[in-house]
Amino acid sequence: MYPAPFAYLRATSWTQAIDWLQEHGDDAKLLAGGQSLVPMMNLRLVQASHVIDLNAIPSAGIDRAGDVLTVDALTRHAELEESPLLADACPMLGEAAGLIGNIRVRHRGTIGGSVAHADPSAELPCALVALRATIRVLGPRGERRIPASAFFMSFFTTALEPAEVVVGVDVPIPPGTTGSAFLETVRRTGDFAIVGVAAAVRLDASGTCTDVGVAVAGTGDRPEDLSEPAAAIVGTTVEDERVAEASRAVADATQPRGDERASSDYRRRLTQVLTRRALGSARDRARASAAR
Amino acid sequence: MIDKTRVTFTVNDSPTEVWVWPHQSLLQVLRDELGHTEVKYGCGEGVCGTCTVLLDGESINACLVFAVQVDGQSVTTVQGLGEGRSTHPLQDRFLELGASQCGFCTPGMLLVAHEFLSRRPDAGREEIRSALAGNLCRCTGYTKILDAVEAFARERETGPGGEREA
Amino acid sequence: MTPGAERTGTRDPSLNVVGRSVTGADFVQKVQGSLAYADDWHLPGMLYGKIVRAQVPSARIVAVDLSAALEVPGVVSVLTAADVPHNNMSEEASGLGMTAVSMPVLAGDRIRYGGEPVALVAAETAEVAERAAELVLVETESLPGVFSPDEALAPDAPHVHEGGNTLVEWTIRRGDADRALAGAPVVVEETYRSQRVDHAYLEPEAGVGWIDADGVLTLRVATQVIEHARTIARILQLPEKSVRVSGTYMGGGFGGKEDMTVEPYIALLTWRTRRPVKMVWSRQESLLARPKRHPFTMHYRTGATEDGRILAQKIRIVADGGAYPLLSPRVLFAGAVAAAGPYRVPDVDIVSTAIFTNTVPSSAMRGFGAMQVALAYEGQMDRLAEALDLDPVEVRRRNALQQGDILPTGEHAETEVALLETIDAALNALGPRPDGADGRLFGRGFGCSMQPYGRARYFADTASCWLTLQRDGSLVIRIGVTDLGGGQAASLSQIAGEILGVPLEKISVYIADSALTPHAGGTFATRQLYMSGNAVLQTARELRALIAPVAADLLATDDADGLVFADGSVREPQGGGSVSIQELVRACEDRQVSTSHLSTFRAETGEFDPRTGQGKTFPDYTYGTHAVDVEVDRDTGQVRVLRYVACHDVGRAINPLRVQGQIQGGVAQGVGYALSEEIRLEEGMITSSLFADYLIPTAADLPDIEPIVLEIGPGKGPFGARGIGEPAIAPCAAAIASAIADAIGARLAELPMTPERVLRAMQDRPLGADPRGGAHPRQPGGPTGAS
Repeated sequence: MYPAPFAYLRATSWTQAIDWLQEHGDDAKLLAGGQSLVPMMNLRLVQASHVIDLNAIPSAGIDRAGDVLTVDALTRHAELEESPLLADACPMLGEAAGLIGNIRVRHRGTIGGSVAHADPSAELPCALVALRATIRVLGPRGERRIPASAFFMSFFTTALEPAEVVVGVDVPIPPGTTGSAFLETVRRTGDFAIVGVAAAVRLDASGTCTDVGVAVAGTGDRPEDLSEPAAAIVGTTVEDERVAEASRAVADATQPRGDERASSDYRRRLTQVLTRRALGSARDRARASAAR
Repeated sequence: MIDKTRVTFTVNDSPTEVWVWPHQSLLQVLRDELGHTEVKYGCGEGVCGTCTVLLDGESINACLVFAVQVDGQSVTTVQGLGEGRSTHPLQDRFLELGASQCGFCTPGMLLVAHEFLSRRPDAGREEIRSALAGNLCRCTGYTKILDAVEAFARERETGPGGEREA
Repeated sequence: MTPGAERTGTRDPSLNVVGRSVTGADFVQKVQGSLAYADDWHLPGMLYGKIVRAQVPSARIVAVDLSAALEVPGVVSVLTAADVPHNNMSEEASGLGMTAVSMPVLAGDRIRYGGEPVALVAAETAEVAERAAELVLVETESLPGVFSPDEALAPDAPHVHEGGNTLVEWTIRRGDADRALAGAPVVVEETYRSQRVDHAYLEPEAGVGWIDADGVLTLRVATQVIEHARTIARILQLPEKSVRVSGTYMGGGFGGKEDMTVEPYIALLTWRTRRPVKMVWSRQESLLARPKRHPFTMHYRTGATEDGRILAQKIRIVADGGAYPLLSPRVLFAGAVAAAGPYRVPDVDIVSTAIFTNTVPSSAMRGFGAMQVALAYEGQMDRLAEALDLDPVEVRRRNALQQGDILPTGEHAETEVALLETIDAALNALGPRPDGADGRLFGRGFGCSMQPYGRARYFADTASCWLTLQRDGSLVIRIGVTDLGGGQAASLSQIAGEILGVPLEKISVYIADSALTPHAGGTFATRQLYMSGNAVLQTARELRALIAPVAADLLATDDADGLVFADGSVREPQGGGSVSIQELVRACEDRQVSTSHLSTFRAETGEFDPRTGQGKTFPDYTYGTHAVDVEVDRDTGQVRVLRYVACHDVGRAINPLRVQGQIQGGVAQGVGYALSEEIRLEEGMITSSLFADYLIPTAADLPDIEPIVLEIGPGKGPFGARGIGEPAIAPCAAAIASAIADAIGARLAELPMTPERVLRAMQDRPLGADPRGGAHPRQPGGPTGAS
């Protein structure tokens, strides 16, 4: 019930946080929302010598610069859910954030935290992979920009080097009409996703699909980038039959794990179903925004 | 050598100062140091909602925030809802409509409902249902809790006579 | 708004208070957050206790090394089995079928389940206690264990206890079921399985102990049973007068606070350290080690005539009892008695068994055995309907018990059985079926149940109450009931207020103190209304009879019995004079007539012969039907409950709002049981003790639950009430299974009915195909025509 004692440091800038990480090494933990870290500390699954509180670092929030959406790492899930800018430019991200846990968790949890935590069932990492987002990382040797698909490496394992922190996420907003959707299957409201699918579809002026991004959460040790098998819809007008074909290809391409939450077969089934639904929904949204 | 830190914040608008270890949760400090036992321990994972408090007006899990983090902020518990010893109209609806059985989830439910309706006073029953989905109850089946919150919301909109400020 | 706020809703205009939906004072405290639960209690010098639990399911304890723990600054005491004066948790055998297996308070030489208590720590802070507990080294030598009834019953299976792995076996037989089945035109057979579930009350187990000024070991604890004071005394080898248990208002119980939880551990530490001690279990500890609902495997063979009348039932129930008996014998007894459901069955053969395994013990949980079997007996009725191409409602009509019918135990259904009325009411309330347009899969189902209320008669149950009318016209009720949050205490005020005419605002209730309130028995077995309600009723009537002559004298009338006690006064029935209760009390004092009275209500007793399985069992039953509309996602198997109607005949609703609340709460637990809750074990150890992984329904997982409270057949409770706490959960899984079967054309017989299992039951048909090819249960029809 009680975490082990730790020394508390409150960072007011990223560089300060990084300096402290360097100084205190692996036993120092970064505290953003705390909604994943603190339960583990309460259960003594994680112990920290130092906790570096990031909540006093000014956040740049959500912004748009041309065709890139920049999201500060300290943006809360609830902010993502409610952002009008996001709802307009990239609704799927807010949609994914709105499915995380419960409202209290969303008031504190951050996108940076979710990304750094790298739970393979988590919504935001999956969405970011489908969106071809870039993770902005800051460390002792300066800034790095890592594509999301390369950032998430395995269960709770990322490309972060020691003393590096996630400071933001850049989401490309390609020209033309796009539509996106995030869907997941849970056993109970607020539960971790058994499988989650993020889909983004780009249409040209004639309604033909020029690009698609699909990522799946919960099937493996990280979000799976399955845009390639989903590309069966590229060059088509994304009729339901093409969508069905693409979703079968996506499901065939995945090797889902089986565990106490669900069997491998069921996860594959869910992958197919959710991909079909998410692609269909993304297409419908793209068409609707084209019509506007 | 880890020192205690002084934390200054308000609890239900009352200025409060306490010396805490960094690893002490806001929940623990509220209950054990400050006597606010209306904030409950239910799971320590942020799942059940019995430790709900408002931090600068936003509902959070007090079990997942360290007390040192809230320096300079305001904390509201269910006892901050009413005025003195009288009950808030939302609490009255809970009483009238049987929304409380064992009562353990009630403080958290009241706070989340109150916060939600403050932002969305026009919310309908299904939106209220979604808003309360993060607070678990094992006794009531939720129906009467929704009855009470909805009744309060509708009353506040059309109100018999006076303004009832949330 | 003050306590006593009312919503009228009584059908009987001759009753003033009973039948009203009034609020009690504890509810005001609950909405204000000021009610002090067990953990909300702090005493100067208080220590904190923590249990050291076994990390393996089956082992010999080689050594327990306390040295590292003792060195932690702030640790005051560390205890092991040797420090327990009488290291035995079990009560005296008080029921038929209780075995001689004892359960240690702290395991001494053997560990029999993962989580079993091995040592105890008391420290200055809860944190230090937790840290020190982690440092207690329990050296073990693993022993082979058995982790399921099948494993435990295999030849040469290791024994959990000496004497073999059968914990208890009950037999109920009437007639010759084998012969009847052999000759039956139709036989349906199925094996049904239910899972381990947890009570998941929001308030974890908690309590504080201290030694009072008179040297009495006092425990203030969240418990359903204050009578455990006796057991605690025995464990500490103290005279009974030296232990006092005060029960707090609980944040939920549901049977999980019926056996002792923290009590013996707090008691040991308090007695050893002579300082107050608090113990609060962590949620994860509770999920790991708190006794669970018995998983049941239920094999049913049901024989019937061509027109659907049951000829015989052959039933085999096997339950996983876990490592120690606790209440298994009684749970399996209730399961056996209720196994055939609310239906006539001429020839019946029921064997109901619990088996020892090296897992967390199974014990009491709302429904208590009689609930698990509803999935099976209702499933059989639906299968019969399917096999005979009959309307499932008609099958119930042809078999439903009526008052006077013989039950499998040879008893008669003593009270009116309004089962058919509940079926009608529930199905009618659902109205027209949802439109299955654009390929969506909807299903409608219902489930019936009979659930006992009151303890089995051979317990010779009693409940005592002490009422005192005070000089200012107020009434004090003292009664040992414990309050789970179902308004138990508040209902008693209504009953007393009805008889004695004292307004509710002038009634206070003192409950749950083993030293100061007359014992009324624990809050379990849906017995409180029947027992304590009757105790209050009886005491109030007797008190009234004692003081009425004084009132008659004051009013100069001869007719003491005809006087009306209401609204704070006593008056003649046809106008005339009246006298206030205050005046009456003063007059009684002048005449040395006591206005304080204690009485004991004794339930009917009876004998049961375990060899024949015939005799007297439960005093009565509550009947009900739940009707459900679901939608099944044909591609993911997810089940959404769209509408849920729950109808019970409660005889008399003392407090309609509370009765509705009990029904709704029971349904919510039942839906979780049906669809999502499960405690999973692997090699005897729980696979996850996170609350995040224990899936109880949220508000978004349930529709509005629509209770229909019927008051048709008077029961044996006060004013003809029947209990409702457990009955509310009994039909849920059956109703939902029935609805899913209607939607997908396949019937699940295993709980929980997870999306994956539902999908599998649809037999992996390709996406988009209609799974309802072939025969499926007909939709429930219209009214049964019951009178």
